[in-house]
Amino acid sequence: MSTFVEEKPTQNLEAFHGVKKVPHEEYYTSGHRTCQACESAQIMKLMAKAAGPRTVVLGSTGCMYVANTSYYATPWGVPWMHTQLGSSGSAALGAAAAFRVQMRKGAMKDEPINVIAFCGDGGGADMGLGAISATLTHPDYNLLILMYDNESYANTDIQISGTSPYGANTSFSTPGKVKRIMNHRWKKNVAPLMMVGHPTCKYVGTISTSYPLQAMNAVRKALSVGGPAFIHCLNPCPKGWDFDPVLSFELGELAVNTGIWPLYEIEKGKLKLYGKTKDIANGRFKRLPVREYLLKQGRFAHFVDEDIEFFQSKIDEMWNKWLVPGVIPLQKDLED
Amino acid sequence: MATLTVPVEKRKKIQEQEALITGAEAIAIACKLANVDVVTAYPIRPYDTVMQYISQLVADGEMDCEYIVAEGEHSQFEIVKHASVCGARVFCGSSGVGWMYAMEALTVSPALRVPMVCMVGNRALDDPGAFGVEHNDALAVRDLGWLLTWVDSAQEALDTALIAYRVAEDQRILVPLAISCDGAFLTHSQGLVKVPTPEQVKKFLPPYNRGNLLLHPDNVISVAPQANEDWVMEIRRQNYAITEITCDVIREVYAEFEEIFGRKYGNPFFEEYMTEDADVVLLGMGTMSTPVKVAIRKLREQGQKVGFVRLRWFRPFAGPEIAKSLERFKAIGVIDRDFSFGSPNLSGVVATEVRSAMYTGAATRPPVLGFICGLGGREVTVPDVETMTEKVFQAAKGKAQPLTQWIGLRS
Amino acid sequence: MGQLFAVEIIYRGVFQKTLAKNITRGIVLAARNQGKLGISFGRYGDSPERNGIPAKSFAIVANDEQTLEAGMAQYEPKQVDVTVVLDDTLCKGAESWAWYGLQPVHHALKPGGTLVVVSLEDKPALLKTIHKREEPYKLGIVKGAASFSGMWVFKDDHTDVRVLGVIAKALPELFSFKSVEDYINDKLKSGLKATSARNAYDRFAAVEVKPGEGNPEKLFNYNLPGWQKMRDGVSIAGQPQGGPYADPVTGNVGGFRPARNELFKKYSTRTMRPVVNFKTCTKCTLCWLNCPDASFDVTPDGTYDVNLESCCGCGVCEQVCPVKDCVSMVNESEFHDNHSQWEAFKKDQDAYLKWLETTIQKAEPIGERAHGFRYRGQYQEEVPEALEIAARG
Repeated sequence: MSTFVEEKPTQNLEAFHGVKKVPHEEYYTSGHRTCQACESAQIMKLMAKAAGPRTVVLGSTGCMYVANTSYYATPWGVPWMHTQLGSSGSAALGAAAAFRVQMRKGAMKDEPINVIAFCGDGGGADMGLGAISATLTHPDYNLLILMYDNESYANTDIQISGTSPYGANTSFSTPGKVKRIMNHRWKKNVAPLMMVGHPTCKYVGTISTSYPLQAMNAVRKALSVGGPAFIHCLNPCPKGWDFDPVLSFELGELAVNTGIWPLYEIEKGKLKLYGKTKDIANGRFKRLPVREYLLKQGRFAHFVDEDIEFFQSKIDEMWNKWLVPGVIPLQKDLED
Repeated sequence: MATLTVPVEKRKKIQEQEALITGAEAIAIACKLANVDVVTAYPIRPYDTVMQYISQLVADGEMDCEYIVAEGEHSQFEIVKHASVCGARVFCGSSGVGWMYAMEALTVSPALRVPMVCMVGNRALDDPGAFGVEHNDALAVRDLGWLLTWVDSAQEALDTALIAYRVAEDQRILVPLAISCDGAFLTHSQGLVKVPTPEQVKKFLPPYNRGNLLLHPDNVISVAPQANEDWVMEIRRQNYAITEITCDVIREVYAEFEEIFGRKYGNPFFEEYMTEDADVVLLGMGTMSTPVKVAIRKLREQGQKVGFVRLRWFRPFAGPEIAKSLERFKAIGVIDRDFSFGSPNLSGVVATEVRSAMYTGAATRPPVLGFICGLGGREVTVPDVETMTEKVFQAAKGKAQPLTQWIGLRS
Repeated sequence: MGQLFAVEIIYRGVFQKTLAKNITRGIVLAARNQGKLGISFGRYGDSPERNGIPAKSFAIVANDEQTLEAGMAQYEPKQVDVTVVLDDTLCKGAESWAWYGLQPVHHALKPGGTLVVVSLEDKPALLKTIHKREEPYKLGIVKGAASFSGMWVFKDDHTDVRVLGVIAKALPELFSFKSVEDYINDKLKSGLKATSARNAYDRFAAVEVKPGEGNPEKLFNYNLPGWQKMRDGVSIAGQPQGGPYADPVTGNVGGFRPARNELFKKYSTRTMRPVVNFKTCTKCTLCWLNCPDASFDVTPDGTYDVNLESCCGCGVCEQVCPVKDCVSMVNESEFHDNHSQWEAFKKDQDAYLKWLETTIQKAEPIGERAHGFRYRGQYQEEVPEALEIAARG
């Protein structure tokens, strides 16, 4: 008996080198009735395309369950199974364990099978946080948990979750005559939480549907690195955020360009920023004011200048005061 | 207790070892014999010694399975639910409020056709805190499509665990099954058990095969897309179709078990003790059988003709068979180690179901008295049984008795 | 048993959610002014609403409780007196997002009932889209562009009160205009709105539509299987893989067309659709890559053709396309088929490009047909134009 950890050898899914190299096959096609310009559906499409046919997807309750699959119609061209709202971590673990043991016992052909469990921000950052955390401590199961974040419990007609932005209008945080801001919680910093809390987890990344190539390559890397991986995607939601669907892609870019949504990956402990985030960090790009992003969305239409300034101050803090700008919020104790 | 009816000559050829083990360890051994693939563990008393035994079996190389310690019962059961759909034979278990914490996974497993075999170490739901036996935990899933069985000895626990895999994984069935073992009395006390050989088990238990319901890249299906009012009723009807044949499958399997292992259980659904000439009977589930049988022998010596029906299978509830058996008696006393507040006549769950079975299936209307006894780990004592029997005799004589009485209680 | 009235409001999900609720609540409260009882509710299968997917809101009114109860005995009324369509492109189909098959817009309208459509088009144009049916009905128009808002910010352009005025004209037995006026003055406290309602009431005129008149298109539908035919374990077959296909002119096989789901077609989700210039396309892949509905077929030429079975008209493709006027969103009402544009282009390039140019010019540019919030203050800017149309009736 050798090591403490029996890591199952993985595979090498090479990155797509450019949009023209992206394969045409779709493993998530028509058969869903998501909103017009639903970026959560878009990441499902990209994720499935990046993973390919030797994949099994577990989908927890949320828009990507209810809007995607109505009984007798499904968009999925790979095997897919629903799981409970807080179960993305446990579903991925169960599937990975089942494949591993059956391959070991010779009951199933031994090959890399991509196990991907997805969850929304409600199912992942709130209810299912414990299960995801437990799963990320298991170094010998290869799997990916992808959290699509539309910043609300969207399927139940938009309510706040742990990743909803400060002050956003939702049906549980309605601005009213006495209280203009009902949700004064700040968005959870989920990816760093996963990364810092689970030292043996080899891959944690943030992605955006406005950077589709990088998003797909992050998925491929996560499925190749070995062990459990976690990816957090920001998905503009025209219904919940209240904007004209044509702006979906643009808002994803604005989230990055204002510094609100940093793009990075942490592979085996090494942090790498990418896209405009990298340029923001090394001073080559000046962050756009958050006002440009906020006032394109009806969910912030009730904001007054004081609210926008507060929001801006928090983003400024993220980039000017954090120990690792954009990523880790600890403040260093300066000796002067 | 089962009787060995295989002739001596054949018996010698069966290389069964005899072991002194608890009900929990018996089930652990059954999992090893059944070549279980995935086990998830989470600590809660009194079921979790089964997981301690399995851990040792895995560490000693006696069992090859994925052994995962979850961070809560909800995850624990979700993990095996999905492992099962991906083709793994699974084992899980819990007790009391731990079982309740897993309820989301438990409710959907029958519809998803997940044949997980679970051990429930029956425990009172706390608050009020107790680790002692009460049956409400396992009973909570009785409407959902689970198969539920109660065992009263370590031997029966081991045998039933093997039978459970055979029944649950039968392609006509494919639903989850819970084996209930009374906390402490069965889970923690050691009895003599004949342990079958791997060869016998291999003959009895085919590999798990869920056919085209398997989740695997070679089988592109979507499992459990969101169904609405156009579909849910038809989906539920499919589970109903399973319930129509479950009793037949159980009978088949017990007959096969007898042939291969040589142990005869007779009627799978309930055991009858000294009922042949009884005037009245008591009915109950689980380890109360021991004080009940001891009390019955004592009462018989005093000339009182009383018998005992021990229910093994609560789901499926073999209503017509139970009714046909009970209609012979002048009065019946059902001992519920559970409560069902607000039920008809305020009786426990088993009494209510027995009355319902008798209403449609029995040719006679003997009084059926409900007794609530032994909750929260309190023993069902021999004097308790004598008290209950006396009340049943009163009812048999035509003297009115309350339909529900709490026994062994300080007022 | 007394008389039962039912009105349904068909609207674009999410974008007209508040508007539809305002109308059905207004119906009940206006009828209350005449002592009638009523309830207002949404179609059962619609929730949660999704952008663009047709939804319905109902108002049921009766003189007495027993009759009202009779109307409530089934959740959705099967026979309504008036159907109001708040976006004329909904005339292509009104099924909810969990429905199978296409539901004509007058599906629940009783014989002789009135179909009211908010539109800038005229009746002959609408009748090219509205499916024909056996039973006669009346058709009337409330002149105006579709009024779109979103979840949180409402565009208060008087569409709701104008519709209430029109209902009083179409169904005087339900309530008089005075009841509507009283409701507006008492509850909405706006004399301006009362005037808009009055103008709509005065100008509304419905004409008979004869049996068999309308769009002859055969509606696609599906028979739902029974439990014995359904697969076990709540499972269904997944989507098959697509593959290359043939150029209609040269026969060359290439490109990639994903498999399209047989059960869900997005025909009735669109208010606009993209039209593509295959000549100026630089094959950058961005429209195809960024479409959440995988609506683009990769043609054997390497260009990208919109497949209208799955396009829901979101407009992201136009936004990401780097070439001017290569992908353009145009009014869905322009179209009466779902044919492949690339095929038309291959068969006669010049004709197609000419058609493309005139279509882009003619059909409303994205500014008007697109829907929803784009910047704060936008609705305040747009409302005066809507009010002008309302004043003219």
